[in-house]
Amino acid sequence: MSVTITVDGREIQAPEGARLIDVCREHGIDIPHFCYHPGLGPDGNCRMCQVEFVTDRGRRLGISCRTIVTDGMVVETQSEAAKAARASVEEFLLLNHPLDCPICDKAGECTLQNYYMEHDLQDSRQTFTRFRKRKAVDIGPTLVLDQERCVLCDRCVRFLKDIAGTPQLYIAGRGHAAYITTFPGQEVTSPYSLCTVDLCPVGALTSKDFRFGSPTWFLKNTDTVCTTCARGCSMQLQEREGRVLRFRPRYNPEVNGYWACDEGRLNYHFVNDERIDVPHVRRGGALIDLTLDEALVETRRILGFEPLGAVDGDPAVRVAVLLSANCTLEEMHLARTLAARLGGAVFVARHRRDGVNDALLRRADRHANARGAELLGLDVIDLRGPAPDATRVRDALGEGGVLVAVGFDDEPGEAVADLAERASATIAVSGCINAVTEAAELVVPGVTFAEKDGLIVNFEDHLQRLRPALRGVHGVDTWRVLEALRASLSGQRPREMVGAIREEIAAGAPALAGVDLLHVGPRGVRVATQPVA
Amino acid sequence: MATRIISARFDDPENWRLERYRANGGYASLEKLFSMEPDAVIEEVKRSGLRGRGGAGFPTGMKWSFVPKNVDKPRYLCVNADEGEPGTFKDRQILEKDPHMLLEGIIICGYAVGIETAYVYVRGEYDFPISRLEHAISEAYDAGLLGDNVAGSGRRLDVYVHRGAGAYICGEETGLIESLEGKKGQPRVKPPFPAVEGVFGCPTVVNNVETLSALPWIIGHGADAYAALGTGKSTGTMLFSISGMVERPGVYETEFGVNLWEFIESSTGGVKDGKALKAVIPGGSSSPILTAEEARNVSLDYESLQAAGTMVGSGAIMVLDEDTSVPELLRVLLRFYAHESCGQCPPCREGTYWLYEIATRICEGRGRPDDIDLMLSVCPHMRGRTVCVLADAAAMPTESYLRKFRHEFEALIPKDPPPRRLLPGGVNPDEARAL
Repeated sequence: MSVTITVDGREIQAPEGARLIDVCREHGIDIPHFCYHPGLGPDGNCRMCQVEFVTDRGRRLGISCRTIVTDGMVVETQSEAAKAARASVEEFLLLNHPLDCPICDKAGECTLQNYYMEHDLQDSRQTFTRFRKRKAVDIGPTLVLDQERCVLCDRCVRFLKDIAGTPQLYIAGRGHAAYITTFPGQEVTSPYSLCTVDLCPVGALTSKDFRFGSPTWFLKNTDTVCTTCARGCSMQLQEREGRVLRFRPRYNPEVNGYWACDEGRLNYHFVNDERIDVPHVRRGGALIDLTLDEALVETRRILGFEPLGAVDGDPAVRVAVLLSANCTLEEMHLARTLAARLGGAVFVARHRRDGVNDALLRRADRHANARGAELLGLDVIDLRGPAPDATRVRDALGEGGVLVAVGFDDEPGEAVADLAERASATIAVSGCINAVTEAAELVVPGVTFAEKDGLIVNFEDHLQRLRPALRGVHGVDTWRVLEALRASLSGQRPREMVGAIREEIAAGAPALAGVDLLHVGPRGVRVATQPVA
Repeated sequence: MATRIISARFDDPENWRLERYRANGGYASLEKLFSMEPDAVIEEVKRSGLRGRGGAGFPTGMKWSFVPKNVDKPRYLCVNADEGEPGTFKDRQILEKDPHMLLEGIIICGYAVGIETAYVYVRGEYDFPISRLEHAISEAYDAGLLGDNVAGSGRRLDVYVHRGAGAYICGEETGLIESLEGKKGQPRVKPPFPAVEGVFGCPTVVNNVETLSALPWIIGHGADAYAALGTGKSTGTMLFSISGMVERPGVYETEFGVNLWEFIESSTGGVKDGKALKAVIPGGSSSPILTAEEARNVSLDYESLQAAGTMVGSGAIMVLDEDTSVPELLRVLLRFYAHESCGQCPPCREGTYWLYEIATRICEGRGRPDDIDLMLSVCPHMRGRTVCVLADAAAMPTESYLRKFRHEFEALIPKDPPPRRLLPGGVNPDEARAL
């Protein structure tokens, strides 16, 4: 059933039971609001979303977030009365706002600021000393609270109570003296605490991680995906001058809604630090920098091929290719092709310690693409903790085998490091310096998730695309390294376009048949309706 | 002499005891009550024209009829005894002097609406009234008037007393419900109304003490007898708490339709010490003020007071004599509303305090020439813009005081305000702070 309403003279069809504010937004009419959030629902306290209703009994103002559309409803969002009502709410909110915008993290993306420009734009008529409340209050490991900037919209309180299930903030006091605070003696420790920073329409809740990091208008955004666990939340990566400064969720109803966990969004610091920028080889305890071409020559030498001549036949040594379960489908596919060329085994390893499953988003499996590996038909092994499957890799290597370790950027785990150390030689393709690269004879710089262009599949078979936020800052695309190795050992020219790889993947994996891997939209696509053995 | 229904037994100092209440004719309506169908009771109350005495004046029978019949949830009655409106002290009299009359009213409402649990939410400061009420409840349980089998009717009814903790806003029906549920007392957005979703998410009737206390008389004497009293849509009688500069302040009952000032004068003896009358606040601090002339020419009923731009409200009449300063009164009033605002909605949270600051400035002789107009421009943005009517309750009297007694405010504002101190560079410090 649908109803017909009239908004600003436009007739709109809306589903029965819908909220007026949602219907308007879907039709491009943005009604300003503070307390309402599509992920939280309305509260009705902020009074910013007032519009004017034209009824038989005259015109009246009402809040659009709490109004359910009814047939024949006539609404004016831009009438003089509606505009005056919103301007007055903006004025009331600014009466005691500290106006410390120049040092506020939220400046540039602040709702109060934006609405001032849209709705108020007058000098303050307040001539009294503004209220003093507490500023820079440390309320937990991730958050800093400024009570003066707060507009008391209650979003953070409702998020922690209703969505995260951990009520840890509340509004204390009454009237003009009301303020947000934690329960006495407690901190905000929710694993989703930083969502409150996104939700905060002003600069009252700021992230310790990002605080004073950068004016927001200098940040460049890239839509990508979190690789910290098997959920694969849709994210926005924000960088400035080659450094990642903020990683936060973007709306994807099929994966994460509006939310992301703190662990995922703080798991980007290794992208800025601990990087490997040039290939190097270990010779008698010394590290020698190489070009990528020289690294290819070194690879041939390690595998027992003629370093510079034509490459034919099998290598002189046994080879095992070991990938992180965080690698993209492209990397996994190319690694498999490489292993096939070398007659060696290929494994995809879970290597990060387990997290926890919770009711909202987090998954115990902290690998982004283990499901993708299964869909490709690859052998997913367990190298977590006691590493039950380490012997399989050791068996594949035998005596004197060469280990090619790919994509162990952060948290490689002891078992992988141990395998790298025990192999007679290890070639590591890695974005970061870690125990694996320390043990490797040859290290080729790959890239981290922040620089990758690749596909991953979450535990619910939702395929999404990682997009590179940083280009040409660190390392070489991991898939290009693998393609260069494969091509160099096959006497071919490496392919330049990742699309060619994707076409090959689609052709070779029944689970991905019918999925257009070349055009994966920002929200991704659901694949594989059949369970894969 | 004025008609006395609610206060009929107030003069008997022992009436608070069950025995004496019965001897005075109490609980006589129950036999008739249980011979009626519950719906017929609701119809009877509708026909009586009884309106809520807590301040809003909503028709009681209609309120009851909004409670959905076929819902598989318990229904509740909340008795609003959180008498917080400044100037109001009538419910206290009922609790102290005739608590069984309230219990009888609760039984009537419970029977009509199908309620088995009633909560009496009493203002926390009412120690003595609470002790009388609790005494009455235990007497009623012992006499079988409450509990498993109310007066032999086979119906169940339990009554609990809940003490408030001193917030004006908990007298607002949804704020009361939140508080009763153990939450912070903050009004809820309506709809849903309490009749559909009230205490613990169940259908709930919220009625004022005096409203319920009128029920025994209405059932006993019939709706027509009640409707015959008063005038037009203002039927019956009401208790008025008269305070301020009068000779004998107190609670007085009258039929509706009498002349306001004549009622005040005849019951209280007129303005104290023979002073001249300046103004009358007819319905509690939230109601707009009437000048002396208006008060002398208006009839005391819902329609006439509404036509005069004010309201019956909670029946708290406050009398101002010629020496009372209206600006000072406004300052005290605004301090109260700023203090009692729950803080949900910006217009109320910020507006009440802002008005208080400006009123204070005027009273202290630091007013600015445009302050009156500034206040008058703020008030319309507080009225009708918030979850509950607390902001209206602050803005409406403010506007009326400023309009009707503007000269008193103007007299306090210095004609030539001292030049404001400027910061280096000619920057106004106030504006500098606003940057």
